[in-house]
Amino acid sequence: MITLERQELVIRFPDIHPRAEARIAFQRTLRIPDDGRNYPLPPGMGNFPLHHVEDHPEKLPGKWARHGGVFMPMYQSEALWLSFGSGHHDYPIALQIAAGKINAVNGEPWKEDMQFDPQGYVVSNQQPWLDGFCVEKGKIRQFVAAPLGSGMSVEEQITGEAEFGGLQIKAWPLKAGVYEEMYRNRPSSSWSDDMVMVKCCMSEESAPMDMGLGMGGSMKQDIYDDTFRPEDWDTSASSRCYVHLLNSMSYAQVTGHLPPHRPYEAADYAAAGLPWFDYYSDRASIEGSEAFKGLKTWKDFQEKKDGSSVSIEPKSVVHLEEKPGLGRPVSQGDCF
Amino acid sequence: MNFGNLIRKSRLQAQSGDKSYSLRKTAARIGIQPSYLSKIERGELPPPGEEVICKLAKDLGLDTDVMLAMAGKVSSELLEVIRSRPELFATLLRELKSAPDHAVLKLVREVRDGEW
Repeated sequence: MITLERQELVIRFPDIHPRAEARIAFQRTLRIPDDGRNYPLPPGMGNFPLHHVEDHPEKLPGKWARHGGVFMPMYQSEALWLSFGSGHHDYPIALQIAAGKINAVNGEPWKEDMQFDPQGYVVSNQQPWLDGFCVEKGKIRQFVAAPLGSGMSVEEQITGEAEFGGLQIKAWPLKAGVYEEMYRNRPSSSWSDDMVMVKCCMSEESAPMDMGLGMGGSMKQDIYDDTFRPEDWDTSASSRCYVHLLNSMSYAQVTGHLPPHRPYEAADYAAAGLPWFDYYSDRASIEGSEAFKGLKTWKDFQEKKDGSSVSIEPKSVVHLEEKPGLGRPVSQGDCF
Repeated sequence: MNFGNLIRKSRLQAQSGDKSYSLRKTAARIGIQPSYLSKIERGELPPPGEEVICKLAKDLGLDTDVMLAMAGKVSSELLEVIRSRPELFATLLRELKSAPDHAVLKLVREVRDGEW
């Protein structure tokens, strides 16, 4: 089951294990420059507001109602990252993340089954966050919102169609017996509690605009190998959710609420000397997908250079490590 | 574990990996005096008001509802929900008083999945 709690998706499998829980938050962030450099991790600036699609059936596209799920507002060319947590427990949940039904981890079209080779998912208590499409080992291209139909989304570049947009998520729990066996002798404090991790924006009269995700600048980020065996996962149990992206300009018309303010520019943030982040873990990471190679990025679609792809120099980089027994979740949301 | 103990334990755990969780710096972020936070941690003063509890919970990565409950309080958000339909929610809470977690979860609104 998937619920919406405090602007987070909470995934639970109470029939599998009372501790089987994962949380996904969608963080607003800076769009990093698309200049060929690998940037450190940008900050989080608070969660995107999430709403049930079924609460606004008359103001949203009919296909959204068929898809079900939730929606959130994004400005054109705004960036986001996903943070993963295990609540107060440490139960591993496999999460398949797709944009426009293109798997962001292995670049393959959406599949309903778990993809073990090449790995097409992240594990909730092993992967603290996902900032974009895995293009190479240790490198991602930032998720950047683009109007569906503009040709900028990864979905459109790979399939030639502007059909889905948004984000799609599917989750599978570890088998209860495997969890009990592996975690029987561990201290009661949760793995996620012990881990240093970062959690820290058409016209109004026109119809709601569907957004997809394209590729932005490069960032250093590992997507970690699954340390469990395929047979350790309970593939008979799964939950899934469609996260629609609504153009922020239509948000007030649909919900009656003002959208979040526009995102800050990366250059302003860096000039202010505010922190960026670097994360280290000795876990093995997966290779990037060939499917993403050769795709155009955000800057390739800009007719005029507006200066937002000009290189910047992050002055302050906070190094974070996975240290059992030390640290705590640090909110990036209030640091700007 | 009481409210003060939990705050102290969580802060010290965070401080072991990040010096910004000293008593003085944590109090400064919350907007209270270090001596006040110290007395709360040692149980010499009762738990603070809802606003401070919420700031503490957020700063230390703790669950706000759990923290408020440990302090013997209910969030103003939940009070508003109950006040809007007092009879209905009073009955509901009494009925669920002894229900197991999985039964309560069945009443929670799920995100609807459709065809895609």
